[in-house]
Amino acid sequence: MSSRTLTKAGIVDYIYEKTNKNRAEIKELVETTLDIMKEAIKKDHALLVSGFGKFEAYDKRARKGRNPQTNQTITLPPRKVVVFRLSRKFRAELNPLE
Amino acid sequence: MNKSELIKTLAERKGLHVDESAKIVGAFMDAIKEALLQGDRVEIRGFGSFKLKSYKGYQGRNPKTGDMVEVQPKNLPFFRPGKELKEYINS
Repeated sequence: MSSRTLTKAGIVDYIYEKTNKNRAEIKELVETTLDIMKEAIKKDHALLVSGFGKFEAYDKRARKGRNPQTNQTITLPPRKVVVFRLSRKFRAELNPLE
Repeated sequence: MNKSELIKTLAERKGLHVDESAKIVGAFMDAIKEALLQGDRVEIRGFGSFKLKSYKGYQGRNPKTGDMVEVQPKNLPFFRPGKELKEYINS
């Protein structure tokens, strides 16, 4: 498997090839898109992107934890976590033989 | 929120035509999908990263009927939320 990594700059280049906008404009649009995505995950607890997947924010209850270094018991506060659930279509694209 | 609402919101915020906004959002998602389909990692600062994990096939059982089933090898992407996203969601 390759060890290449797609970053924001790579995403901007990809969009640049497909539109007639300059890179600076696209960079700004990508940042705004990410802002809207984050807001939606927080506000609606879910962001559904058809053909790709769904980002979900769900609540984790407080639980007892332990500092493995000092063995001290601590209470971990309740918090929200974000998970990504793969769409069936994208799953099929990743696994053509299934 | 779904994809068309995301497209609409981007169009409103940036004063774009919805068609243009749809092109941007579509290409954004395609860029990520194509990278993962090639087995590449995706790292979006402030949001999170995606990595493809490969699972070997194995002999499993249908837990309801007890029948043996052949579970095929599969590739599934994993998303790790970035620090900024985690903090934002919890603020």
